[in-house]
Amino acid sequence: MKTIKVLGPGCPKCKTTFHNAEEAVKQLGIEAKLTKIEDIEEMMKYNILTTPVLMIDDVIKVKGRVAQIDEIKEFLKN
Amino acid sequence: MENQTLVKEICPTKTQGWVENGALLVDVREKDEVAQLAFDVPNSINIPLSVFEDRFTEIPKDKDVVMVCKNGERSLRAAGFLVNHGYENVVNMKHGIVRWAQKGFPTKGDTASVLENNNSSCCSNSGCC
Repeated sequence: MKTIKVLGPGCPKCKTTFHNAEEAVKQLGIEAKLTKIEDIEEMMKYNILTTPVLMIDDVIKVKGRVAQIDEIKEFLKN
Repeated sequence: MENQTLVKEICPTKTQGWVENGALLVDVREKDEVAQLAFDVPNSINIPLSVFEDRFTEIPKDKDVVMVCKNGERSLRAAGFLVNHGYENVVNMKHGIVRWAQKGFPTKGDTASVLENNNSSCCSNSGCC
């Protein structure tokens, strides 16, 4: 099962990224564990500067911008 | 911000003392923000958050460093980044240049830009969110 994490302080772009991740999972019909990380200390552990960040299986795929549904689907297929 | 333990945070008043004792102020706001209003202190540099990963090594490890931004959120992230990279003498200034200007501490530029809209988040077009 894929693990997807969306890191960000809860701003609109972070929310859109999380929604897009949910939608990508739904469209692919796969099982995935989706987590939203808004806690600043937790975010700092990942050493990120710009948000939102999309992580799949603990690898940063997109940072500092909204990840689109289609690109998230591509990440999940690989 | 109060819920984290990785980075020590200090207020603008305490920052004044740090600066007087030779600490370096590192402003992580973007260039256009700094052009509008800057901290008027002897030792300061601007490394925008959008290029911080590429330029953070410009910050000396053997000096006391105070990280600053508009509201203290971006600078906290940058301070955490430095701590994770082995910097030991780094603190974050809480509440950023907004509180600094409200306190009447030295600035260069137009304080109206931060004082009139001080409830907005630091996340403008700054590469944060």
